[in-house]
Amino acid sequence: MSSLEAVVSFSDVNFAFEDGITVLENINFSLEAGEFACLVGPNGGGKTTLLKLILGLLKPVSGSIKVLGEAPSRRQAQIGYVPQFSKFDAGFPVKVLDVVLMGCLQRSFFWGPYSEEQIEKARMALAAVGLQGKEERGFSDMSGGQRQRALIARALVSEPRLLLMDEPTASVDVHGTEQFYRMFEELNQKFTILMVSHDVGFVSARVKSVLCVRKTLQIHPVSELTGEALQSIYGLDVHVIRHDHRCTEKGHVCPHS
Amino acid sequence: MSAFIKDLLELQFLQNAVIAGILCSIASGVVGTYVVLKRITYIAAAISHCVLGGLGAARYFSVVYDLPWLRPVYGAIFTAIASALLIGFISLRAKEREDTIISALWAIGMAVGVLFIFKTPGYNEDLMSYLFGNILMVSREDLYLIALLDVIVIGLTVAFYHQTVAVCFDEEFARTRGVAVEFYYLLLLCLTALTVVLTVSVVGIIMVIALLSLPVAIASRFFDSVWKIMIAATLLGITFTLSGLIFSYAPDLPSGALTIVIAGVTYFLTLIWFSLKKSHIAKAESDVTS
Repeated sequence: MSSLEAVVSFSDVNFAFEDGITVLENINFSLEAGEFACLVGPNGGGKTTLLKLILGLLKPVSGSIKVLGEAPSRRQAQIGYVPQFSKFDAGFPVKVLDVVLMGCLQRSFFWGPYSEEQIEKARMALAAVGLQGKEERGFSDMSGGQRQRALIARALVSEPRLLLMDEPTASVDVHGTEQFYRMFEELNQKFTILMVSHDVGFVSARVKSVLCVRKTLQIHPVSELTGEALQSIYGLDVHVIRHDHRCTEKGHVCPHS
Repeated sequence: MSAFIKDLLELQFLQNAVIAGILCSIASGVVGTYVVLKRITYIAAAISHCVLGGLGAARYFSVVYDLPWLRPVYGAIFTAIASALLIGFISLRAKEREDTIISALWAIGMAVGVLFIFKTPGYNEDLMSYLFGNILMVSREDLYLIALLDVIVIGLTVAFYHQTVAVCFDEEFARTRGVAVEFYYLLLLCLTALTVVLTVSVVGIIMVIALLSLPVAIASRFFDSVWKIMIAATLLGITFTLSGLIFSYAPDLPSGALTIVIAGVTYFLTLIWFSLKKSHIAKAESDVTS
């Protein structure tokens, strides 16, 4: 397989729920290998639905979706998925290492203890998200940001080609978000990344392209992402605040001051 | 207590009761852990109440049509599995109103059972022992059946441990890994159904849910992995059922009810202990910082 082949490609995809409400209309895009793309758009605009279509959890009403040249359901093993953080039971009794090992599960059945090789891979995945030494900690004892990192490690452990993340920084404070984006840049060296995000300001500094979803899809090269473009996506009632943070050796310089 | 031990050595029904308490606690500790973690206590309670329909119907047909091989427990197993699968399909398919449908099944199951028991000729004292349990009436044949169900529950749990825990933790992620989530969900409901049937003989239909959930609720405060909670909940369950049996024996109290009271009090004492400990730590920390 050539590395230039599209990791994800949508052509003329439409999706509606059983009650007939159209969620996505005429979606066309493709994602090249090594891409770091961000999905933005209003709540209910279809961002999570689009991820689920790529994962093969939902089927399009019409149009075709290819993941690494095949139907999504045949490529699940090559996709690492980080679901929305908010739906987790914070009290679930499980160790961090065991959460990551859940990423080793696959279609073919196996039982008994995890192999040495699987445990080694899980440790490496934890190291990749900065959680080395926390393997035996309880998942419920960790901070929101650490739990989020563990869930990313769970997606990495199966060595996917594509990493899908649904609002991975929603539980992280502003300071932590900066660290997360640095981590994503590192992960982007190895994985193609598509993530759903709300904080467009932070995103545009690092992301290579932004996919704006609001029933239909528009692709903006990051440089073109102006207030006007955002307004057309989020609707008229949006206030755009510019975040042009630039950090130098002299400290924090804000272009507005 | 000494009277209990003296009688235990002589009376077979008392030995049966002790063995039944131990065997039931194994299944309810293991399956109860899944029930609590997957948050399906409401579904488990619905299944246990549906069981009355099966018990009543089997006993009615057994008496009226003279079918001595048709024991009430067979009716219970059939109804429990059928209601588990029905509820399972409803909760997998229905997007909303799931709880309404489950409540309806819950009540219909009980109502059918009451009607059959009412129309069965002869004494109807069984209704009370179905509702509130009577561990002293467990027979040798019941014990074989309970032991068989234990083997099934433990075998399936060992075989499918990773998959079932992953489904409890994050169903959607498990699905993206190609795990057959629907199959494991229905499997958990069937295991719950079987466990409910055998636990009914110990504490009765109404209190089954307490024996499934209370030991797990206590154990999960102390341990942070699923298999440890299963073992701890089993040991707690054995402690509760046996102490319920022992302390109810001399004053001639209903053992099922006493078992649940002991378990409930222990649970609330654990909660109080943990909240005191937490406020103590918080106080110590604020003392250090101030």
